Amino acid sequence: MSASIEIAGVSKVYDGGVRAVDAVAMDIRQGEFFSLLGPSGCGKTTTLRMIAGFEIPSAGAIRVDGADITHVPAHKRDMGMVFQNYALFPHRTVAENVAFGLRMRGLDKASIATKVKAALAMVELSGLEDRRPTQLSGGQQQRVALARAIVIAPRVLLCDEPLGALDKKLRQQMQFELKQLQKKLGLTLVFVTHDQEEALAMSDRIAVMNGGRVEQVGTPAEIYNQPTTRFVADFIGDTNIFRGERTTTSAGGPALDVGKGLILALPASIETQGTGVLSVALRPEKIRLSPADGTAASARGVVENTNFLGGAVLYRITLGGGHRVLVQQPNAGTDRLFVPGNGVTLDWTPADLVVLKD
Amino acid sequence: MSSAAPQRPNGLALFILPSVLLFALFFFLPIGLMAVMSVLTGNPVVAPKVAFTTRHYARMFDDPYYLEVIWTTIRIGLVTTLVALAIGYPLAHWMARIKSRTGHALLLMAVLAPMLTGIVVRTFAWMTLLSDKGVINQTLISLGLISQPLKLMYTETGIVVGLVHIYVPFMVLTLTGVIGRIDEQLEQAAENLGASPLRAFIEVTLPLSLPGILAGSLLVFALAISAYVTPILLGGFQIMTLPILIYQQISANFNVGFAAALGIVLLMISLLLVIAYNRALGLVSGQRELQ
Repeated sequence: MSASIEIAGVSKVYDGGVRAVDAVAMDIRQGEFFSLLGPSGCGKTTTLRMIAGFEIPSAGAIRVDGADITHVPAHKRDMGMVFQNYALFPHRTVAENVAFGLRMRGLDKASIATKVKAALAMVELSGLEDRRPTQLSGGQQQRVALARAIVIAPRVLLCDEPLGALDKKLRQQMQFELKQLQKKLGLTLVFVTHDQEEALAMSDRIAVMNGGRVEQVGTPAEIYNQPTTRFVADFIGDTNIFRGERTTTSAGGPALDVGKGLILALPASIETQGTGVLSVALRPEKIRLSPADGTAASARGVVENTNFLGGAVLYRITLGGGHRVLVQQPNAGTDRLFVPGNGVTLDWTPADLVVLKD
Repeated sequence: MSSAAPQRPNGLALFILPSVLLFALFFFLPIGLMAVMSVLTGNPVVAPKVAFTTRHYARMFDDPYYLEVIWTTIRIGLVTTLVALAIGYPLAHWMARIKSRTGHALLLMAVLAPMLTGIVVRTFAWMTLLSDKGVINQTLISLGLISQPLKLMYTETGIVVGLVHIYVPFMVLTLTGVIGRIDEQLEQAAENLGASPLRAFIEVTLPLSLPGILAGSLLVFALAISAYVTPILLGGFQIMTLPILIYQQISANFNVGFAAALGIVLLMISLLLVIAYNRALGLVSGQRELQ
């Protein structure tokens, strides 16, 4: 039966004072695909290893279904884990690898054989029972590691960058299969990755981590559309970030003076009277681009270069004042492409500007 | 490809010439000579009329005394190896897994430092500890734990103690290399699947370090059965081993032929072990056959 996990103010300080994880708090719901996303060294793997029991938190508590397991040794936690390099036992066959956890639980030979067979069938590895891990491809090893972790019907499945070593095609296929398997078994899955696309594609919810702290927890759409901090806006996808003094528009609405003659109208939800410095983010695909004859434009500029991505086109545009912005447009046909040197007008809705905490 | 041009000698081949000469002069030649001497009636250099004979080997296998010497040598070798393994494995495991660099350096120094002193010096040090009036016996007597000194010197126990001390570094260094290459995450994976730390060690680390256990044991055994100085000093001629017997046959009895036969037997014991080692390793590493 899948479990929920509560991480309550957990910190990890290593000898020498390195604070790898700093007061991290999050609730992972039962049956949820939960990703820990961040750059290397952000504390995501340390957090996962504390859930698994390989590291003891310096402060805080970890609870599974309400029971404190902070000091329960790893082998009594009943969690499955898929390691980054799979950590398959090289001296054992595929079947023996998968059977290991069942053997430790003292199951009889017959039911071990049945369960191993079913688990290998589930990851489509039937027939490879007697191979050694070294005789398998990377993708097959990955599946063995997955089968070994799920065959024990763990309360929680932990994955430490499990797809990192696979090439792109295989990776996408495994992403899809892992997600499907997780839903089918109703597993609570904690997934560590530094790949934001992977996290966005697979997760129910994501915790973005940076410097040992949680920056934001939310659904992929929330993380992408309403980043709350500058780090999240910058880390997830491409974005334009402007920073400037609060001011008002000629119409009296809230605005931001970002220098070089550019004044951005802020969303109406922001209080009109305000002072101080703010950062705002604007996603490249929220900007509409049209030829330089447009009338009601948010800004004007010149195309500096054009990146043809296939389904979309990414433009780097220098605005009149000197700001540089990224603009992404759907590919609407060769005759609608702008080329470097074209004058363009840019339009966006103030509501698409997201105010960030620094 | 019969029409192919005759292969020109590779210039690089010349570089192995020194090692080939070294091996030929100091390895194959002496062993070959020893093998020849062991089946001759006398020394062909001084005695012009020599003939082939098997009497040296016959003498060895007919006289229970010599069989007893061979068995004593093997027994000392086996016990030394087992004790060195029991002491060396935990030490090697600690050294391979220690996180602190300073700690690793200190351990390595502790293991290597005794090797900087000569074997004779170290054996004499053990004599001052083990003799009837030595440190250990005097301490135990003064504490009232024993009334008669324990017989530590001039016994197999004494020899084993000295040999273990001298050869434990070989065991530790061999094992450290092998254990250090075992991914620590494998143990964690085993624990994650429900194995206690001890069970994880037995199921994962121990079998994976078997090549190191075999190699270290082979090395220590071969060194222990061919040791001369330590058995003579700590055994005081009370315990006869093959190397001591060989030395006696040459220096006291001038029976070079018999000494050579004994030497060949010593060599055969080591050789058989190397073959057994390769077989065992082949079995352990599964399908991969060692060529």
